[in-house]
Amino acid sequence: MISLAMLPARRTDPAHDVALQTALDRLTGGVVERPDTPDGWVTAVRRLPARAAEYAPFPDGIDPALRDVLRGRGIEQLYTHQAAAIEHALAGRNVVITTPTASGKTLCYNAPVLSAILRDASTRALYLFPTKALAQDQLAELHELSDQLSRRSELDIGVFTYDGDTPQDARRAIRGRAHVVLSNPDMIHSGILPHHPRWAKLFENLKFVVIDELHAYRGVFGSHLTNVLRRLRRICQHYGSNPVFICSSATIANPRELAESLAEQSFELVAESGAPRGEKFFLFVNPPVVNQQLGIRRSYLAETRRVAAEFVKRKLQIIVFTQSRLTTEILTTYLKDDFDGPPGTPDQIRGYRGGYLPQRRREIEKGLREGSVRAVISTNALELGIDIGALDVCVMAGYPGTIASTWQRAGRAGRRSSRSAAVLVGSSAPLDQFVVRNPSYFFDAPPEHALINPDNLHILVDHVKCAAFELPFTTSEQYGRHDVQEVLAVLEEGGLVHRADAGEGDGHWQWTNESYPADAVSLRSISSDNFVVVDITSGADVIGETSFNSGPPTLHEKAIYIIEGALYQVEKLDFEGRKAFVRQIECDYYTDAITYTKVAVLETFAAGDAASSFSRSIASHGEVHVTSRVVGFKKIKFYTNENVGSGELDLPEQQMHTTGYWLTVPPEVMGALPYAPDDRRDGVVGLSFAMRQVAQLLLMCDRQDIGISIGSGEQGEETDLNRAGFPAKVSDEPRIFIYDNYPGGIGFSAPLFAMHGDLLARTRELIAGCECEHGCPTCVGPIGNTGPLAKVVALRILELIGSRQIQEGAA
Amino acid sequence: MSVLADRLRGIVRTVGGRPEDRPLPEQDDAAEILDGEWRELRGQRFMVIDRKYAPGHRHGHVAVADTLPPDERSWPRFPLLNNLPAPRSEGRMLFVDLETTGLAGGAGTYAFLVGCAWYQDGGMRIRQFFLSDFGAERALLEAVREIAGPCGAVVTFNGKSFDLPLIETRFLLHRMETPFSALPHVDMLHPARRLWREEADDDDAGRPVMSRQAGSCRLTSLEQTLCGYVREGDVPGFEIPSRYFHFVRTGDARGLAAVMEHNRLDLISLAMLAAHASQLLEDGPAAARTSREALGMGRLYERGGMSVDARAAFLRAAEHSEGDAATRAEAWRSYAVMSRRERRYHDAADAWRRILELRRCPPAILREASEALAVHHEHRLRDFDAARTFALQSLNFNATRSRQAATEHRLARLGRKLGETGAEPMALF
Repeated sequence: MISLAMLPARRTDPAHDVALQTALDRLTGGVVERPDTPDGWVTAVRRLPARAAEYAPFPDGIDPALRDVLRGRGIEQLYTHQAAAIEHALAGRNVVITTPTASGKTLCYNAPVLSAILRDASTRALYLFPTKALAQDQLAELHELSDQLSRRSELDIGVFTYDGDTPQDARRAIRGRAHVVLSNPDMIHSGILPHHPRWAKLFENLKFVVIDELHAYRGVFGSHLTNVLRRLRRICQHYGSNPVFICSSATIANPRELAESLAEQSFELVAESGAPRGEKFFLFVNPPVVNQQLGIRRSYLAETRRVAAEFVKRKLQIIVFTQSRLTTEILTTYLKDDFDGPPGTPDQIRGYRGGYLPQRRREIEKGLREGSVRAVISTNALELGIDIGALDVCVMAGYPGTIASTWQRAGRAGRRSSRSAAVLVGSSAPLDQFVVRNPSYFFDAPPEHALINPDNLHILVDHVKCAAFELPFTTSEQYGRHDVQEVLAVLEEGGLVHRADAGEGDGHWQWTNESYPADAVSLRSISSDNFVVVDITSGADVIGETSFNSGPPTLHEKAIYIIEGALYQVEKLDFEGRKAFVRQIECDYYTDAITYTKVAVLETFAAGDAASSFSRSIASHGEVHVTSRVVGFKKIKFYTNENVGSGELDLPEQQMHTTGYWLTVPPEVMGALPYAPDDRRDGVVGLSFAMRQVAQLLLMCDRQDIGISIGSGEQGEETDLNRAGFPAKVSDEPRIFIYDNYPGGIGFSAPLFAMHGDLLARTRELIAGCECEHGCPTCVGPIGNTGPLAKVVALRILELIGSRQIQEGAA
Repeated sequence: MSVLADRLRGIVRTVGGRPEDRPLPEQDDAAEILDGEWRELRGQRFMVIDRKYAPGHRHGHVAVADTLPPDERSWPRFPLLNNLPAPRSEGRMLFVDLETTGLAGGAGTYAFLVGCAWYQDGGMRIRQFFLSDFGAERALLEAVREIAGPCGAVVTFNGKSFDLPLIETRFLLHRMETPFSALPHVDMLHPARRLWREEADDDDAGRPVMSRQAGSCRLTSLEQTLCGYVREGDVPGFEIPSRYFHFVRTGDARGLAAVMEHNRLDLISLAMLAAHASQLLEDGPAAARTSREALGMGRLYERGGMSVDARAAFLRAAEHSEGDAATRAEAWRSYAVMSRRERRYHDAADAWRRILELRRCPPAILREASEALAVHHEHRLRDFDAARTFALQSLNFNATRSRQAATEHRLARLGRKLGETGAEPMALF
């Protein structure tokens, strides 16, 4: 993965291109250049032309020894993006690189770091990867380079991973000897920063901080990372260093903005890849509808099997991405049945997922690089940087959830000098259907924004505690956007810190508590109050945990709890003790809680819709108070999303302050709807259901990151519910709230407000484009949630809002 | 207060302020309460508390004079306690014990009291450095360094994993060289465990003791057993940080007097413990009161290369009337292993045989003994029949898969040597 330039072209024979062409012809009926057909089986075909490599000479700052080593590996010159990134980094400018998979991005940071170490042996660098596995993978590669360099120079370059798996007795040696430390944000947060005096040598000489897979740090995780980096910079300042940041990201809409909000410094962006690319075809496949009325499609797994078979039987090497460990195993079984040789012959079809032992994983990765493995079926475990070489074809069973991630996976297929293909097979999930039926959303629109809110008070307070433990704050120090002095004053009330004033100059806030605050803060969630999941199938093992807010809706009694593809049923929820007791079961459904939420507006930050002529603004965002109660649940069949049963529940109410966006449907619009009150209600409910899907798409977030609610937004309002958990009736001016499902908010509301026009337009596309008759889980929700007119009324509401806007715009 | 502060209070979830912890204007001087004196260095002020304990001062039934090392530097057998190179001849032993603001370690855990003790003028001296103001830490550490620098060895209780890394962190934080890393270190926890495990390692209910608080309990239970000293009104370890924080917030030092005394008692106990262990090693194996003590002494002698004393100690442990089967089996085992290493094979074989005669011996040791005897009879005595009997016996005890395979391999080989053909060892079961 150093650079494609060093990889031998594995296959250049024309027979390969012919095989790929034949397989594609079978799938597309031989018509490659054609308009999109949203209702077809193959909804879109795109040809991405080949591109030649663009080279640049080695920048001057690259150490001659490193140059020699690279030449020894056949790298005579660099791709343009590599040269640009290296030049920025060596000149001390922060840089963020977004280039496709396998374009040699690791050299962008390894070259400046190793050059700086060769020039000055005291130089230190810190690499951050979102997972331990990625750090291990990078270690192997960096070792090779540093070993070759060490042999040429007097210098023994130390490269080590430092994470939860590092043995205690090795840690001291690593602290002393490592030039490059490969770690993850969690370890920096709880293992390195609180012990910074032991890492004095690193912090004094820290020249580079490398953050790989930057796009992984969005939402809560990203908001935590910003704070970890704030703490890192405080420590660096204490030791007199000021490191340069080198970040790499998959393609997202705002890489520079994300890097700048994570590191809170200005960045240079290198986005133009100079790496060569062979011609690539991208296909969207939508399984055909088998039940028009319920909007049920054929199984996307069966469809994936069929698509994959076309390539495997033509001896093309292929990777199939799935959305879960369970589906990985299912598809592996299917394809093994189809293609594996007689018993005793080597396995040509392999599964790959978290939970496999490292040795097995290495064996599969090697098999892929050498070509002995013809097909691998994998979870997202192979999406990020693990080195498996480049394959011929990538088939995705289900939409990976974001545009960035889809391109990342598609990038696993693609050789320098020959054709490759990527196929996305949509499932019946709403997001999947939207994407395969609206190909231009994926191919032509800019990719998602990664959003964070580092000044969420809950997150901020946790990190102020950690920072105060690490170094006393001074009485004039700034930290984050809020007034940290006020935060510290409140912490003092709780006895956590003590303000000690000096005679002249700044005083200090001293940590005066026995605890080790980093232990109480998990970077992957927002609050330390959580529910643990105890498996009582045999004994009592803790198998998982969920945040306090998602406890009741996911762990109520009789809920199906899914972890790593295994299904458990909740037998008992101990709300006070924050424990759910579960037992493993076999079933073909999952549960979806019916949560009744009431939203009250506390403060409106902004309201307005430039083109609106309504008496009141239709779009707003601001601070809201959310009260939620789980009142029941539905049983939903896997794959088809059919509703196969329900139950009632009575759980305590939960409350939180967060931020939200809301759409106010004006009385003029409600009044102009020629429908009965129940149908109008169904229209609003259906509209909210569809808006949620689109908001999730636009915000690049997970389903549980946002919540929806319908109401007036007034405090103290009481509403009757119908059986599906929706209000029995809606007012003349209903509001649809889409709120951040985290206390304090995680930064989704303001962007959603800014994307309001897009949100409504795409919601319209989603509903109008859906083939179902009266509503389905893909658009306005399944029949049963709402009556037969939901779809029609929802569209009518959007039309009325739109036409008034358009009229006004024209006038 | 502002809206932000109100929201923050909801998040921090503190129960209002702590009115009793507001600074009190009229405070008696802490130095008076704690009977110490202020020391100032470059404008940084900390407190030094000095105490002298006369030769006749008693800790339980032991007088300071009884424990006094010759020339006040070190006891002759003291280096055996941690396999030290002899302490630097020019320096004396420095006993060190910290009181800290927490147990977690890391940059935010302070050593607010550095207690040091040493022998001088026939008695004992204690000097405590008290961090009354966080801003004076650097000056305090410099003073500690002045005392520690010229010492010959540092002695602690659990200092290897707690006190020394913690104070090293404080020195590192101020970019100062730590004086302790250059000194030979005896952590009395480890020899104490070897010698007095029953007394030292279990709490009242007989469970192994894990935590640091329990560590000081252990020191107190040792001082009770060895010196007959019972503390009254001692501060429980978990209360110490909060007493300090109360002082930091209010300036009220009254609660700290007991903490200072606790630290001084720990230091005296530590010195007595080290003296007792050194004396025991000097008195020799015959002085051991229990089988466990003799076994521990044997180990310490063995590690120090004193094999004659080690053999004697192991034998005493094995034959001591005050001993449980496990300790005696362990003693015979140690004796056997040591003899084998010294090529005294017949002594080793005798010891292994004694193990097989013991009642209630742990199975792992029984297996090891029968295996060793099988080896001895096969390769040294060439008595294949006896070797086979022992090898078969060793299979009665649970073993790892590879050990069992090795034994089966041995049985097959013995079968061939005995002229049996096709004697499948597995067929014997």
